[in-house]
Amino acid sequence: MATSSRKKTVNRSETNGSAPKRKKVQRRSTAQAMAASQKEISVSEFFAKNRHLLGFDNPRKALLTTIKEAVDNSLDACEEAGILPEVWVHIEQAGPNRYKVGIQDNGPGILKKQIPLIFGKLLYGSKFHRLRQSRGQQGIGISAAGMYGVQTTGKPVKIISKVSVRKPAHYYEIQIDTKRNVPKILNGKGEGVDIPPGEKGAAYIKKHGIEWVDQPHGTRVTIELEAKFVRGRGSVDEYLQQTAIANPHISLHYLDPENYEYEYMRSTDVLPPEAKEIKPHPYGVEVGRLAQMIEESDTMSVAEFFRTRFSRITPGIAKKLCQGASTTMRTNIRKLDRTHADKIHQTIQTTKISPPTTDCICPIGEDLILKGLHHVVPGEFYAAATRPPSVYRGNPFQIEVGLAYGGAAATQNVTMDLLMELLEETDTRTVRQFLIHTFNGLGGDGADKIVKAATLKTRQNPRGLKPKEREKLFQAMKNVNVAEGQQMEVMRYANRVPLQFQQSGCAVTQTVLGTNWRGYGLSQSRGAMPKGPVTLMVHIASVWVPFTSESKEAIASYPEIQKEIRLGLQAVGRKLGMFLRRRLKVKQQSDRREIFMRYLKEVSGAVSEINGAPKDELYDQLLKVAKKVTADADMQIDDRGRRVEDDPTQLDLGENTLIVDPADHEAAINRVAVADELEADGEEEHEEYEEE
Amino acid sequence: MPQKRPSKIVRAPKKPVKLSPRDKKTMASLVGLADGVVKAAKGRRDPYVDIPSRTLSNVRYSARKRIIEMGNGKNRRQLFDLSQAKSYMRTMLVASGCKQLLDQGKTTSLRGLYYMLKHTIEKTKENTFDEQNECDTIIEDVEVLLTSIREELHLYAENRGAMVGNITLIDRGDTINCSRMGSGGYAIPSIVEPEVIELDRKKCDAKFILHVEKGTVWQRFNEDRFWEIHNCILTHGAGQPPRGVRRMLNRLHHELKLPVYCVLDNDPWGYYIYSVIKQGSINLAFESGRMAIPEAKYLGLRSIDYDRCDLAESVKIALTDTDRKRAKQIGKYPWFEKKPKWQTEIKRMLKNDFKLEVESLISKDISYVTEVYVPERLEAQDWLD
Repeated sequence: MATSSRKKTVNRSETNGSAPKRKKVQRRSTAQAMAASQKEISVSEFFAKNRHLLGFDNPRKALLTTIKEAVDNSLDACEEAGILPEVWVHIEQAGPNRYKVGIQDNGPGILKKQIPLIFGKLLYGSKFHRLRQSRGQQGIGISAAGMYGVQTTGKPVKIISKVSVRKPAHYYEIQIDTKRNVPKILNGKGEGVDIPPGEKGAAYIKKHGIEWVDQPHGTRVTIELEAKFVRGRGSVDEYLQQTAIANPHISLHYLDPENYEYEYMRSTDVLPPEAKEIKPHPYGVEVGRLAQMIEESDTMSVAEFFRTRFSRITPGIAKKLCQGASTTMRTNIRKLDRTHADKIHQTIQTTKISPPTTDCICPIGEDLILKGLHHVVPGEFYAAATRPPSVYRGNPFQIEVGLAYGGAAATQNVTMDLLMELLEETDTRTVRQFLIHTFNGLGGDGADKIVKAATLKTRQNPRGLKPKEREKLFQAMKNVNVAEGQQMEVMRYANRVPLQFQQSGCAVTQTVLGTNWRGYGLSQSRGAMPKGPVTLMVHIASVWVPFTSESKEAIASYPEIQKEIRLGLQAVGRKLGMFLRRRLKVKQQSDRREIFMRYLKEVSGAVSEINGAPKDELYDQLLKVAKKVTADADMQIDDRGRRVEDDPTQLDLGENTLIVDPADHEAAINRVAVADELEADGEEEHEEYEEE
Repeated sequence: MPQKRPSKIVRAPKKPVKLSPRDKKTMASLVGLADGVVKAAKGRRDPYVDIPSRTLSNVRYSARKRIIEMGNGKNRRQLFDLSQAKSYMRTMLVASGCKQLLDQGKTTSLRGLYYMLKHTIEKTKENTFDEQNECDTIIEDVEVLLTSIREELHLYAENRGAMVGNITLIDRGDTINCSRMGSGGYAIPSIVEPEVIELDRKKCDAKFILHVEKGTVWQRFNEDRFWEIHNCILTHGAGQPPRGVRRMLNRLHHELKLPVYCVLDNDPWGYYIYSVIKQGSINLAFESGRMAIPEAKYLGLRSIDYDRCDLAESVKIALTDTDRKRAKQIGKYPWFEKKPKWQTEIKRMLKNDFKLEVESLISKDISYVTEVYVPERLEAQDWLD
């Protein structure tokens, strides 16, 4: 304050040129008056005003964030309890720009007194204070979603939770008191309601219109909020699909606002191993945190403090740290002050301490990544790589990369008969919609290209196509290369949670861009995403994922993390490269024969025209030469000049790859019986989320 | 398929055309080519053909004959080579097309043959030929392969170039008096071989041939009846003279012993046209013996003419970078390299840094070129060789 006012005086005297008259300065306000308006800001108030920090920037994102937080919590709870997760997501339109979302799990349930705190108090949770791999971290998410709902619609958050079959279910309607950051319970006179088990309870649930899928245990949260439902990039659909990919052990039932039901059934019955909690590693502790730990500690010796509060501090290292802080091992930890903490921190940086144990991380695993990708993404080649665990800033982490290569699009693999069947059974209204919804991964642009090539009208009904038009559509599907200009799609995950926004700011994207994919058979312009029908998933598992912001959308670029990502990308890239090169070779060989065959008839015809030689005989002879010549060309010779028997169709790429025949890939074509997506508004598809 | 062509149906009742001795020779080499393919196929070998290469690296300048000659370099064209399979197929198609022409005793244009052979290959969407120039290069390959020139394969190009003068010749049995051709002149046919055009020493009064670059200049000379006044034959080749014009000049020169003088633009392109008339071209090196006129003289325009004829500043056309590059290239041709006069000529043009068209002389007077420029040069025997 003082400096700034002095500066002002100097400025004024300069501009006036003469010394100013000493005038009594009229203060606008006094320290006393100002003190009256200075008060504590509650966390909830802060986040209510800055809700964009938590991912509630706009109605579209709010809907996604709400579902995301609830689903993440459900999965965490189930896994912690050792239950194979089953999650129900239900979105229902409650009015213009207003949606009611309900998320239920089959988790262990929540104790009665905890319910209001978990859902009605910001920064209340079990995950913040421990170092353990989990989806949620801070304990803001679900309560913030509830707060957003209350703020935008005034409707309370409804929670029903059941611990076991015989125990009553607890039912709460909660509002968060933003001023004090405490929950306000609205029903049962501020005490909530207990719904007894059995028939009686069922009757009560029915009578009061409480949403609940009957389960022996589990939790359901229902939030009504101002939102906008979209499809495509950054949508709930995408989030749930990506979640299903990275979590092959979960079952997901999703009912969207247009009453379409999606079922992602689990492809494995094995739960991921339980994540272990670890103590912080000295390298990851900042000086302030260290001082705080010392302050908060119970009375104990310095040696014991180091041993019990940190990982990887051996008595030897403890001794060294004590020497650095000029104290002894037996001193009471409470006697140390900030300067000691400072010195200890400095000593830590110069002392070699072995990296933290990494068994606290549970990766998805290469097998399950392959399974998950294959289950959901259509393609013909899959590869996965799980890197060994590594450490950044004292936090262990592990990188996993999966890759799906689409090759020929699903549209190019259908037979005329199959197309007929699909056309018969579809319930879409236009050809464009038919294409988008039947063939996964085609997208609006690809469908447009095909419709244009088939010279059909955009609004034509797929069931009413005439045989000739069907033929045209079929030809167009065969001929249009929808993969042209297609870019690599990157799915990012942190602790199995898909990250959908801030793509460009994320360490994963930056590393993908910085990797040279040309060597692996993909085309890529400088500083751009590689082109081709490739889907990439990158998963970082860590006890503490370094997000760039509270809304958990992008991973910070630590060099150690980037290095691991790069190595992972290279591992799957090499396999893709081998696959593509080999495939190219097979294609070239068949192409070669085909080219010769094609011209032989012309040549023999022309020659017989000149000298009257029997045409067919000549053709047969030339055909034999062609076979001989191409066989010679196919033959490979090794370093010592011996023949190598090499069948390019047999390709050994080592483990963790999966090659499927794209023609009969289940994920490629949506039969109506399996899933029925319908685009109410075709234009919505084009709308994309702006990316920061 | 060739069999399905309507032309075949028309031909069927006709009795076979009697082949001329020349046609018999061509036919023999065509059949020889086809027999080679059959033989190789029987022996389970690739029925390749070796085509003399028509590139700069495979031509050399014969100082003795003073023409460009084709070297012995050959390119092997294989059927069972991915990059050559298609051209091999095309080569055989062109050969069979020529065979049909010979059989029927007909000639066709290059474009005609292209259409004759163009069809979609069975069971594919690929055409045998997509562009005419694809066919034209194959025709040239077949010419060198069979050592039969285009005319012998019954192919001709579009007529280009004209002539007028004191000569009477017989074209396909019709007597043509070239001194009575009006303003258009006699269009020089693409094929001027003795079977088509008969020349007679006795029916030629002209004493020399004046070849000009373009039709417009030729019109000037014809309108001024230059050929009548100076008793000569006046020809033009519409820029780079086509084979018909070159062969005609060659025949007139050799058979009627007429000297050839050229009036061309003073630019690298003009020099090159002169070089082609005199020594032959790289692409048609195998025909140089029948085309080139080593005694042809370069009458003008010269790079000194701007000063010599006192031309106006406005007629200058600045040299482009390509012009300068080309001029230096031409200066290094072996047939120009050892001629000091030519070297000074090219250097002078580069020093001038402008080029002159023959029409620039019109700025002096409309008929300056016909009445003053050319007669003076001829009188003074002032030319480049």
